[in-house]
Parts: sequence; C-alpha cells; structure tokens
Amino acid sequence: MLVLTRKIGESITIDGHIKIVVVQVKGKQVRLGIKAPKETKIHREEVYQAIQRQNSMATHSDLEDVHKLSEELAKDGE
Amino acid sequence: MKASTTRFGDLEVEERDIILFPEGPLGFENLTRFFIIDPGDDTFIMWMQSLDDSSVAFPIIETEVFCPNYGLKLLPSDLRSLDLENATVARIYSILTIPKDVTQMSANLKAPIVLNPRENMARQIVLQDSKLSVDYKVYKDLKAHIITTANTHLKKTSKSQKAQKGSPPSHPTPKVDIQNAD
Repeated sequence: MLVLTRKIGESITIDGHIKIVVVQVKGKQVRLGIKAPKETKIHREEVYQAIQRQNSMATHSDLEDVHKLSEELAKDGE
Repeated sequence: MKASTTRFGDLEVEERDIILFPEGPLGFENLTRFFIIDPGDDTFIMWMQSLDDSSVAFPIIETEVFCPNYGLKLLPSDLRSLDLENATVARIYSILTIPKDVTQMSANLKAPIVLNPRENMARQIVLQDSKLSVDYKVYKDLKAHIITTANTHLKKTSKSQKAQKGSPPSHPTPKVDIQNAD
C-alpha cells in the first residue's frame, strides 16, 4: 500500500480525474473531500461490509421459515 | 442441464434461464451463475439459486411489489455494465433476509439486484443514496400488499384496473418452476 503524508488543504490526485483533499483533522478524525466524476462509486468501507454481512444472512434464510411466512402473510390483516 | 440444490433437490435448468453475475453478489464474488426459482405462492418471494454452490440461495422479491416509490437511480456506468440502454427495461429485485421470527424479515434496499432480462445478466448494485437501508423491515408493507392483491382478486375487477399500483408485476424473467423438480 502506498502511504503519503498530507497537510490540511493538501490533496492527492488519482488517475488524473479523482482528487482527494484533506479538509479537516480533529483528534482522531480526518475529514476528506473527494472530487470525482459523477459515475465514480464512493462508499464508506462499512457499507460494503454491511451488504456482505446482509447477503450472508440472507443465504441462511430457511425454506421452512419462508413457508411459515407465506402462511402468516396469507392470514387476514389484524 | 441438471442443477443440484440443497433446498429444492435436483432441478432441470435450461441454458437460457441461467443468469450471469459477472462479479457475483457482494461477498460471493466466486458465484457467477444463478437461476430463479419461483415457488408459485402468493407471496411473490422467489429464490435466486447459485449454480456454482448448491447451498447458496437468496430469497428475492421484485422491489416494486412492496415499494412502488423506490425510484432507484442507476448511473450511466451501472447501465453500461449491464448492457442496458435505459433503466426501464431492467428488473429490480431486493434480497430478503428471513429469520425465524418472520415478522422481522428485511429487504436490502441499498444494494438491489439489477437484471437485464434480455441478456440475462445481473449485478448487485450499491446505490449512492445514503438513506437506503440494507435491512429495511418489510413485513408490514408486504402484508399490506398481499391483502390489497387478495381484495382485488375478490372483487374481480375489470381489466383496466389491472395496471393499478400494488398489482403484481408481470414476470418476463426466466424462471424455473419448482414443479419441474425431478
């Protein structure tokens, strides 16, 4: 992994069209500004992890529970 | 071709019913071939079964069934990655998580499965909208929808009303009927 040191207001450029600026440093937190083409997907890493976790949980859905669900849904609304 | 599945036993799958996931769903990057199994009940819940791993199947539902105002925004790069000319031809599914307490079931609105039905190619696309949840509690919405649909059936309404909101979407998507099981 490439590691660079930057000061507040300084930036790095990736591939000529993505720019990341250090906006603020406060204690243990760093605020980053990202300038990228509209199509660039930018997400916090946790978002991907949450989706992976959710996908994994989804595959543990049980056929019997889905049958149970069908029955529950078919009951008249309370 | 024959597909073995841990939940549904051995199924016969036509080549044309196989959906290609060039990158696999997130966390399942090595699984690139799926097919959709429709149990044919009233819940509109289907299963997206992996051809590569017999034990992996995702319960899915067309998002518009419970969320007619989903209005997802696909980026031009998303469309290109699926060879889609525009978003209207895409079919959008949400992956469901169904726990033992079924009322706690959830739908992933943040990262839907977007399918190009013509090419049989799909991707799990992470949407930029930060308000969308990966585990939206969907039981109430689904229940409301089922009741609406049941009432519509009872009333035997005219054809013109068929297109109203909340009516089940048509399914041009290739599917394997569970009755086809050997």
